[in-house]
Amino acid sequence: MKPILKPADISVPGDCLCRIEPGDLAPLPAPYEDFNLRIPTPLKADKVKNLETSLDDTLAVCIPRPSTKEEEDALVVKFLSGLKKLFEKENNWTFLQQLTLSMEHCARCQTCSEACPVFEMSGRQEIYRPIFRSEVLRRIYRKYLRRGGKIAAKWTGDIDLNWTAVARLAELSYRCSLCRRCASVCPIGVDNGLIAHEIRKLFSQELGFAPKELHEKGTVLHLRSGSSTGMNPAAAKDSVEFIREEMEEITGRPVAIPWDVEGADILLIHNAGEMLAWPENVGAFAIIFQAAGLSWTMSSEAVGYDAVNYGLWYDDVQFARVALRHADIARRLKVKKIVLGECGHAHKALTVVADRMLTGDLNVPRESAMVTLESIVQSGKLKFNSKKNNFPVTLHDPCNVVRSMGIVEPQRRILRKIAPGFREMTPHGVNNYCCGGGSGFAIMSGNNFADWRNLVSSRKKFLQILNAFENEPQDAPKYVCAPCSNCKGAIRDLIHYYNAEERSGLYYGGLVELIVNALDGMQKPIIRFGEKPSWE
Amino acid sequence: MGFYIFSYFCAVIFLAAVACRVYRQLTLPVHVRWELYPVWHEKPVRSAYGGSYMEEPDWWTRPYEPSAGNAMKYMAPEILLLRGLLAENKRLWLVSFPFHLGLYLMLATTVLLLMEAAFMLVAPSPADFGGMLRTGIGWLIVALGWIGLITGLIGALGLLYRRLTDADLKRYATPADYFNLLFILAFFLAAISAAFSDPFFDGAKAYLAGLLTAGTFMSACEPGQSFSGALTILLASLLAAYIPLTHMSHMFMKYFLYHQVKWDDEPNRPGNAVEAAVLRNLHYRPSWSAKHVEADGSKSWKDIASSAPKETK
Repeated sequence: MKPILKPADISVPGDCLCRIEPGDLAPLPAPYEDFNLRIPTPLKADKVKNLETSLDDTLAVCIPRPSTKEEEDALVVKFLSGLKKLFEKENNWTFLQQLTLSMEHCARCQTCSEACPVFEMSGRQEIYRPIFRSEVLRRIYRKYLRRGGKIAAKWTGDIDLNWTAVARLAELSYRCSLCRRCASVCPIGVDNGLIAHEIRKLFSQELGFAPKELHEKGTVLHLRSGSSTGMNPAAAKDSVEFIREEMEEITGRPVAIPWDVEGADILLIHNAGEMLAWPENVGAFAIIFQAAGLSWTMSSEAVGYDAVNYGLWYDDVQFARVALRHADIARRLKVKKIVLGECGHAHKALTVVADRMLTGDLNVPRESAMVTLESIVQSGKLKFNSKKNNFPVTLHDPCNVVRSMGIVEPQRRILRKIAPGFREMTPHGVNNYCCGGGSGFAIMSGNNFADWRNLVSSRKKFLQILNAFENEPQDAPKYVCAPCSNCKGAIRDLIHYYNAEERSGLYYGGLVELIVNALDGMQKPIIRFGEKPSWE
Repeated sequence: MGFYIFSYFCAVIFLAAVACRVYRQLTLPVHVRWELYPVWHEKPVRSAYGGSYMEEPDWWTRPYEPSAGNAMKYMAPEILLLRGLLAENKRLWLVSFPFHLGLYLMLATTVLLLMEAAFMLVAPSPADFGGMLRTGIGWLIVALGWIGLITGLIGALGLLYRRLTDADLKRYATPADYFNLLFILAFFLAAISAAFSDPFFDGAKAYLAGLLTAGTFMSACEPGQSFSGALTILLASLLAAYIPLTHMSHMFMKYFLYHQVKWDDEPNRPGNAVEAAVLRNLHYRPSWSAKHVEADGSKSWKDIASSAPKETK
């Protein structure tokens, strides 16, 4: 029997605070029972020796173990200095009000716990309970930064602060996908996702600790080379030229993908990952926009062809730098609006969160592609034959598009028109479950993190997808429509990990592919189940 | 007189604590948007499924029109019936609802008692002044007072029982959580005990008349006539001072959690108040010490955001 952990246990030294054991995870139905005893692959001995792995034998941040006690103590002091800065307007005007309210008003009623897919699917591992990490931070803040805190701690909840607690808290902030489902059910309005976000910021902005995929190979690479994929402008243009040619084969007629058109109505920004992993998505946008006769362009300037903004997940400074570059490129191109492609976090980053960073002529209007596409589909300019989409379709709601932005119905109205086999998942819309790849998880695959994602954080989504198609023949092809690059990445990995293409006929893709697939007059279908596309 | 001074003292603490909390929220810098849908001041057709104004093509060409009425339609049952808790955590609602209802009714009863006390200053009897209205208030005091005491007592006992027996709640409970519940339970027990010997709350009316007149009014109560009455006065006064100092201030701070965070979807538009606030914020000088931030104490957020980091790791 495992000991039941309390928040104060985070500072108790040990090899592993919580280890997922075979049989702990929520059971999967047939034909996936063979995964029910699977657990994340244990970390290699050299990782355990050199890195801070004592939370749950999984690695996201990869903090090197300090070599001396003095080094540990210095890091603890720095942690406290960062924690203090989170509560100062000069350092954290961006989230100060949200943070103070959530820190001060939790009633610990546990309503949030039942809403969290990570906690539920992990077999209710205590450390993944939404308020576990919030309560750790709350207690440290009260005890070590408030006047009289050390005395009051006996009254309001005690905790010891040491390097073990700090290192575990850093990792623990990356066991929440920031889906904010917990916040949406909190009767008071406390946001545990926000607290996880602020912990990540503290570690990045003060101690310089963040997952390599988000910082070094994320925002830093994005700002330096032009894209978090590493593609420079010339490589991006090459990729798109290849896509354009592929699309001409599908349409049977010339397709134009305009670059750097000054004064165009729309600057379309894709997640550049689409150009490499799902080029048909970029191509489908071009086919639709061209057919609708829109005035649009893409930007070949560094950063301008990649809508991602990983700063949203871990660092306000990096976030602001990327958002500003996006807005400045649109301003100089003199476009009327930016349309964000199928990328959920880019939607929320540039449209919602950056809204209160962009002033004057940098405040170029931003619109979701779901809205632009609905206008086109409903305009009558394009002719559709929905029978071409004669397969079961379900819709995954990206958290950043629905719960964080309120774009819920446009994509559904499109699907109702072009996909007769469309059915909802349960629950859906603003009550959806995260794909498990949110907040950067989809691009974090180092060490055993991909195992943890597929087995734990994406597990609820996998169950939802299976349920949505439960009345369909097992071998019939089924389409999971995920209008978000990161969600698609997580769902791709899920399907691969569980062999779900072979076992359940599961395929996935975006929304524009379904639209183009239903368009009249195409030479070839863009969706071809089971066939490898020419670009692979 | 000591009771009156004590109650005044607690009232001052209550007002000061509420004012401090509210003032702090009102003077915090405008933050980035972090809303969560559904946002209930949206049009009903959209809030029904959690949609936003951003579902409209070219939404920035339309006026931003949040509806306080729509927000109120949601908030009224949320505040009065704890609708969210009922939907998401019914087991807890069964004890939390009577607890909160008891506190709300105690608040309402206090307001009615103050009204009756004000009437008493003019004339001792409803026949002389106030007539039917005053008689009605008298009956409402009795009805709401008793219902509030009973539901509050049941709720406080229920919540305490749940905290002590539910492993998930117990694991996160602190001594302060138990103290808060015991404190409120003690108040309800004392008040019920006092009400048994004074079922029409005449002592409470007289005490509040005394409070309004610093004890000089001729019908003012002489506190301390009964142990339970005196205890009720002390506990009620202390509770009023204590609640805004704790997380239980969510009773009124929920306004900020909802309206200034969860539902704060006001867009930044050229020349509006949000833009002016953002421009002020961009002049703050951060001091984060990670190298990539490149904060040296003199650079503003604007300077830092418009630069690229030299650090590559």
